[in-house]
Amino acid sequence: MESALELAIEIKQLTKVYDGKVNALDGVDLTVKAAGIFALLGPNGSGKTTLMRVLTTQFRPTAGVARAFGYDVVKDDAKVRKIIGYVPQEMSVWTDITGFENLLIYAKIYGVPSSRRTKSIWEALQSMGMDDVANGPVKKYSGGMIRRLEIACALLIKPRILFLDEPTLGLDPSARKAVWQNLETFKREFGTTVFFNTHYMDEADQYSDEVAIINQGRIVKSGTASELKCSLRSEIITFALADRGNDSRNPSKSMADPGLKLKLLEKIKALDLIDDASLQASNLDVVVEDGDVALPAIIEVLRCEGIRLERIRVTKPTLDDVFLKYAGMRHPKKQERNAA
Amino acid sequence: MALNDSLREMFAMIELEMRRLRHDRTEIYTRAVQPILWLAVYGTVMSHVRDIPTGGIPYIDYITPGVLLQSTIFVSVFYGLTIVWERETGILKRLLVAPASRYATVIGRAIASGVRAVVQALIIFPVAILLGVKFIPNPIYIFAAFLMLFMISGGFAALSIFVASLMKTRERFMGIGQALIMPLFFASNALYPISLMPPFLQSIAFVNPLTYAVDAVRGLMISGDVANVPADFAAVIVFDILIFAVASISFRKIIE
Repeated sequence: MESALELAIEIKQLTKVYDGKVNALDGVDLTVKAAGIFALLGPNGSGKTTLMRVLTTQFRPTAGVARAFGYDVVKDDAKVRKIIGYVPQEMSVWTDITGFENLLIYAKIYGVPSSRRTKSIWEALQSMGMDDVANGPVKKYSGGMIRRLEIACALLIKPRILFLDEPTLGLDPSARKAVWQNLETFKREFGTTVFFNTHYMDEADQYSDEVAIINQGRIVKSGTASELKCSLRSEIITFALADRGNDSRNPSKSMADPGLKLKLLEKIKALDLIDDASLQASNLDVVVEDGDVALPAIIEVLRCEGIRLERIRVTKPTLDDVFLKYAGMRHPKKQERNAA
Repeated sequence: MALNDSLREMFAMIELEMRRLRHDRTEIYTRAVQPILWLAVYGTVMSHVRDIPTGGIPYIDYITPGVLLQSTIFVSVFYGLTIVWERETGILKRLLVAPASRYATVIGRAIASGVRAVVQALIIFPVAILLGVKFIPNPIYIFAAFLMLFMISGGFAALSIFVASLMKTRERFMGIGQALIMPLFFASNALYPISLMPPFLQSIAFVNPLTYAVDAVRGLMISGDVANVPADFAAVIVFDILIFAVASISFRKIIE
């Protein structure tokens, strides 16, 4: 019972097959902690949106179980709908009425009592910074304003879980920032769990407490953003090599010489702790597990070769790298199956 | 509890439609042009033919109920376009995630369309009076006629939502809508008595709900012959119940 209270979402072996052919979800296992911000990352067509639509009771799964705060999304769908807010990827407000009227209609649909109605609407509008423009027609709003209005509609009932499908798609950086700042404030105030889909890695990195990566209908990796980055165990050290053409003692030796290039790469790859190395123009990239340990050894090799350095840069992996590693490659087996 | 949620959504949908109308009234006015032309031009010309047996009623008066219903039913038959648009955007997804049942969305929208139709008719009605159409000055009859107008428009809006849930795209929907509207109008008693039609068309008119609606409205507003009105109402109620049920069941399909 206690674990059911701590978890906002619990998914076991969830499968969704479209038209008996396409496995949009292929056995998803996932848990989301309550009162956190959870980011689901995945390439296009990976099943992100399908998963969200199953969780928001729009589709029934083909097999498996999903619960939101203990309520089954199939059996207790009516109860689930009362505790969730949802903002689809596409525009979802009526454009021929005002922003306030949009919230008013939703307040009536959700049965917000008339004594509290106006107050709740203005609170929701304020929480998204939309109170100044609420009485203007929605068709005159910008993309960022429409998105904030949509989120305000979803916040109206103070949901326990807020589902956002690509919440900042197509917004400029300042509009994105405004959306997230308002969301974080709201979340802090009401303890709402936020579940969002995105393929903006920076957004997941910056705002989420937990991340999961979905690919081909399966969760391939999950954890906090920093856990995922550490799990890659790969840092890239870039050495900018000094131009040998200016070396008066040895004018003929240049990085343009392919023989020298190969020899250097071989020597570096032969070192312990080195995963890969490549040389492009005068930049040498070395992929290592732990930069602090590997760096002295590489410098030693370069010195022996008489190569001078201009700069060294150590790049820690980003969430982009994590994403590319776990979701970037298509499984060859599946591709064959799709082709056939 | 569930019924409460559904009733709330229905009322919210009617309110939405009214608010939309208030923000943009041009549609109501422009849509009034065509029926007024039917009465003023077609009606005036055809009244000189005098070959259509109208039972002693002037021809313009005879076709007024049909034209009134046709103009409101046009609006209803294309109401599905709103649903198609809401499907293309995320509005429908969002409504389906709200606590109300799905049938509440369908019935609420259909009723909302019926209300819109009544507003539409209220604009044509005074124009018809100005054109010299003589209505029976009985408030109960007029009210009953508007009730019929509301019920048949709601039914056709539900039919339109049903078509929208099958067609899903604007283009395909428009095709079906256009194909539906003309036979609906001409295979009914809106412009001429059924007795003038060839037997094949008569059998279509017999199952055409518009026939019963026109018969009732004509009886209540123009001829005063209300003997068939209860049967007409019964026919339209059966049509409404059937089409509301079918549209609600197939509505699930629209988001998949």
